[in-house]
Amino acid sequence: MELISLITLVILIVAGGICIGGGVHFIPVGGAPAAMSTATGVGTGTAMLAAGAGLTGLITAASMTGQAWYLVALAGAVGAMLMMGITMLIANFVYIFGVGIVPASSKASIDPITKLDQDPYKTPGTEGHGVPTVCFVSGIIGALLGGAGGGLVYFAVDSFASASPVLSGVNATAAAGLAAIVSVGIFFINSVAASYNIGGTIEGFHDPKFKRIPKGILASAIMSLVAAIFVILMLGGI
Amino acid sequence: MAESNLLNQNNLLILGILGGLIGIYLSGISTIGGLISCLGGICAIVWGADAIRRVASYGLGTGVPSIGYMSLGIATVGSIAGLTAVLAFPALGGLAIAAPILALVFTMIIGACMGLVAVKIIGMKIPIMVRCTVEIAGAASLSILAFSSAVAGGFAAADILNYVVAPGFIALFYIMNCMAIQHPYNACLGPNEEQTRTLKCAASTAFLAMTITGIIALSHAGVVPALLIVIVGLCGWYVSFKAFLKASYEAAASVKWTGLWPKVEE
Repeated sequence: MELISLITLVILIVAGGICIGGGVHFIPVGGAPAAMSTATGVGTGTAMLAAGAGLTGLITAASMTGQAWYLVALAGAVGAMLMMGITMLIANFVYIFGVGIVPASSKASIDPITKLDQDPYKTPGTEGHGVPTVCFVSGIIGALLGGAGGGLVYFAVDSFASASPVLSGVNATAAAGLAAIVSVGIFFINSVAASYNIGGTIEGFHDPKFKRIPKGILASAIMSLVAAIFVILMLGGI
Repeated sequence: MAESNLLNQNNLLILGILGGLIGIYLSGISTIGGLISCLGGICAIVWGADAIRRVASYGLGTGVPSIGYMSLGIATVGSIAGLTAVLAFPALGGLAIAAPILALVFTMIIGACMGLVAVKIIGMKIPIMVRCTVEIAGAASLSILAFSSAVAGGFAAADILNYVVAPGFIALFYIMNCMAIQHPYNACLGPNEEQTRTLKCAASTAFLAMTITGIIALSHAGVVPALLIVIVGLCGWYVSFKAFLKASYEAAASVKWTGLWPKVEE
C-alpha cells in the first residue's frame, strides 16, 4: 500500500462523512409529533430515515463495485434519492388521504419554491404537517449528499480492502462485506452525530436550525477522521 | 430515577465485560464453546441495555434507537479493527491472543471520541454522555464478537472474516444486537419504568438474538453446537419473557387497582 492511497483513503472517508453529516441536515425529520401529523416532515427519527435511504444508497453503490469513484458515489446518490423520494411521497399520501391534512410548512410563511402561502393551511396549535414542496426538495438534496457520501466511504474502504494483505488469505467476498459493514457503521456514526446537532427534528434548508450545519459538519469530520484511522488499523498499510 | 436502581451500574459493567470476554475466550471449546460465547454475549447485551437506560432517561431528543445504531456502528468498526490489527501489523503478532480485548479497547476509544464530540462540539447537556457512549459501544462490541465467535467457532480474525463477514451475517448481527440493546428501554420507558423490568426485557431480547445466532451457527459450527444454542436460547427467552410479562402485569396492576398514574420522579 503506497502512501498516496492512505491519504486518498482518509480524504475519501472524511469527505464522505461530511457529505453524510451535512446531508442529514436537509432531510425533513419530523419525529414523533410528525407521526401524529402535528409537525412538518416524515414521522420518524433520523436514524430510521438515514437507515432507509442510506442503506438503499449503499446497495446501489455496491452494485457499482469496481467502477470509478464518481460512478460509485453517483449510484449511491441515486439509490438514496429514490428511497427518500418514495418515503416522502408515501408519507404524503398517508397524511393527505389518510389523515386529511394539507402539507404546510411552519418555518416558512411562503414556500420558497412554489411561492404558495403556508400559514392559512396550518392547523392552529400544530407545527405544520405533511411534507410540503420545499421540504420534499430539501429531502432529495439531503439524500443526494447522504447517498453520495455513503458511496464514497464504500468505495474507499472497498478499494483499500481489496488490496490489503489482511484479506489475502480469506474468502474473496470478505472485502465487499467488510467495506459494506464499515460504511454502514460510518454512515450511522455521522448521521446520528448530525441528528444530535439538529436536536431531533428539522424541516429542511429553510429551517432556522439549519444554521447549525457548520457544527454538524465539524463533528462529522472529526468522527470520520477517527473512523478512518481505525480503518487503517484494520487493514494495515503503514 | 437513579435512586431506584436495584443493580449497581458498576456491577453490571463488570458482569458485561467479564462475562463477554470469558464467553469469547471460551468460544473455541468444542461443542459447548458456542453456547458459552452466546451466554457471554447476553451479559454484554444486558449491560448495554442498562447503559442505554441511564443515558436515554435524560432525553436524547433523537429517540432511543439512534444511540443504539450509532454505538453498533462504532462497535463494528472498532471490533473488526481490533481483530484484524494483529494481522495487519506483524509487529503486533504476539498480541493475537489479546485480540478481543484490543477490539473492546478500540471500540471504547472511538466511543469516547463520539461522546466528547457530542458534549464539546455539538453541546449536548447530558453529563453522563461520554461514559454511557463508551459503555454502550463496549457492550455492542462484546455482543457482536461473542455471537460472531459462536458462529465462527473461535475469535481468530481469519475465521470471523470467512464465516461471519464474507457471508454478510455481520450485517444481521449489527441490526439484531442493536435491537436487543436499544429495544428494552425504548419499550419500557415512561413514568413507572424500573430497572429490573427493563433488564428482564433486555434478557428476553438477548436470548431471542441468541436463538437466531444458533440458527446462523448451523452454517459453520455444526448441528449439535448450533442446536444447543437454539434450545438454550429458546428456554432462556421463555423464562425471561415470562418474567418480563409478570413484572409488566404487576406494574400495571397498581395503576388498575388505584386508578392513579404513578408519580413521575424527575
